Amino acid sequence: MKVFKEPMLYVNIWRFLNIAVLIHLWIILETTINSFILILLLLIMTSLRWRFPLPIWSVLVDAIMCLLFFPSTVIGYYGLALPIFELSLKKKGLFSLLFFAGVFFPSSPSNLLFWYYLQAFFFGTFSSITLENQEIYKLEADEQRRDRYELERIKNNLLEANQSVYQQAEIMERYRISRELHDHLGHDLTGASLALQAYEWIEDPKEAQKLIQEVRNRLERSTKSLRDTVHNMTPITLIGAEILENIVQNYQLVDIDFHKTGNMLLVSAHKWGLLEVCLKETLTNVSRHSNATKVKVDLQVTESIVRLSIQDNGIVKETSHTGSGLRGLRIRARSMGGSLSISQKDGFLVVCVIPIDKERLNT
Amino acid sequence: MTIFQFALKRSLRNITNILLLTLFPIACIFLPEGEVWPFIPYGYQYFGILILFIGIRLASIILEDREKGVVKRLAVTPVSHFQYLSQNLLAYAIILILQSSIVVYGGVLFGQELYQPVWLLLLYVSFSFASLAIALAWISIYRRKEISFLIYMSFIFLVVVLGGIMIPIEIFPNLLKRIAVIFPTYWLAEGLDWVVFGENILDFLLINGVLWLYTIIFLIIGSTRKIY
Repeated sequence: MKVFKEPMLYVNIWRFLNIAVLIHLWIILETTINSFILILLLLIMTSLRWRFPLPIWSVLVDAIMCLLFFPSTVIGYYGLALPIFELSLKKKGLFSLLFFAGVFFPSSPSNLLFWYYLQAFFFGTFSSITLENQEIYKLEADEQRRDRYELERIKNNLLEANQSVYQQAEIMERYRISRELHDHLGHDLTGASLALQAYEWIEDPKEAQKLIQEVRNRLERSTKSLRDTVHNMTPITLIGAEILENIVQNYQLVDIDFHKTGNMLLVSAHKWGLLEVCLKETLTNVSRHSNATKVKVDLQVTESIVRLSIQDNGIVKETSHTGSGLRGLRIRARSMGGSLSISQKDGFLVVCVIPIDKERLNT
Repeated sequence: MTIFQFALKRSLRNITNILLLTLFPIACIFLPEGEVWPFIPYGYQYFGILILFIGIRLASIILEDREKGVVKRLAVTPVSHFQYLSQNLLAYAIILILQSSIVVYGGVLFGQELYQPVWLLLLYVSFSFASLAIALAWISIYRRKEISFLIYMSFIFLVVVLGGIMIPIEIFPNLLKRIAVIFPTYWLAEGLDWVVFGENILDFLLINGVLWLYTIIFLIIGSTRKIY
């Protein structure tokens, strides 16, 4: 029931309650029937305010109505509480102090009137502050939400860019390799095979000898160039599972046993990036928050998924929230169509699963 | 004025409404006079109750529109809520005015003692508007036609008894006499007394004025735009 938490509802209830108070007074004070008209007129103003946002000067109408009935009935004095309330609701509380003068009229009913005015003034001020705060909170919440959406959008864009950069790099690399092979090896090998074909038709042994020499030279040259090309292409940096192994070896705090199964070449470079960060993050968590003595790291690559599970034997206090590191990893894993799950049953277990898309590899 | 014409047609479409709008009022004409109280024939004293019933019957057509989603569909047409409401209410008002005229005029023809028929008609018209406005405010609270109608029936009973139409106000205890003034039916009863005994026209204007004030209040409250 959201409607009961709206401050405006209580403002309107208060307005109509005031009318109820006036009716009550009218019933017990034995005034004339004519003064009932004043209550009806005030009720019209009140329902108009409930229905439409009236300008602030409209309180003059209420005040004049009440003034006109001053001589004939005390209801007029009590009715002034309505304009006092409306003025303080609109932050014009100082003006409403003028109406407090109603207390000093010689014919004014009782001391209670002052307190009645005061509570109208007080509740009006309180409501105005509440309504203002509500507006501020709404604006703030909207701003926060906008910023969050913006951040998420940027994050997704970055992740997409990350993947496309990887693909571009792969394609550029292939292009370079094919050009390299075509420019050096291709010519020599084609030349050699042509020379061999020509060799079958040649009768003159001298010529034949020369041709054979030619073929040999070409093959030697192409072997050398093949060796050079391959050698140039072999990266010196670690790739794939070696990265993970390297991290595990350099980690000295607790015993880690590392298992890997499957064909590591199926996993593309940016996935290794994620797996590396995941392993680093988890091991950092182990060293910072856990009392574990053993960690088991298990990497499995199958035809369709790569699965990295990291399990320690520490005793964890159940914490419900995941840290920002793991949360970021989870988003990254999702952007690749995978998932990252955490369990704290016996020891701390992180499992990261990423699907392998085979189409990518053949593009 | 399409909505206006349509509202007229719809009001006269179903059997219950036809009965309420024609047979009952005509039956009112032929009811006898009371011994001591009421001062005018029974039919005219109780005609106010009928007006209240007809008010809710007519107004619940608007509620029906809301139930069936007509109001929602109208919200996307270039018809403002004000147009929709005013044309509907105009149609109902015309029906009620006609009905009051038939009752009063029929009474004059039949030879009932109505004292001042013209003022009586004016009083009925004022009260009809008030009744329509109250019904409009009433249905703006509800979502279901049947429920609103059922609760309104008991509400009518209460208002009629406490307002001094069924029972003369003079025999009430003091407090109830004061409380009765809150109900529009009290003013109808006062008006009927004035028609019988009244001399000062200002009193009668005050009575009608109050009924009009009630009309304005309840129109404002009932004019809230509710799509569901």
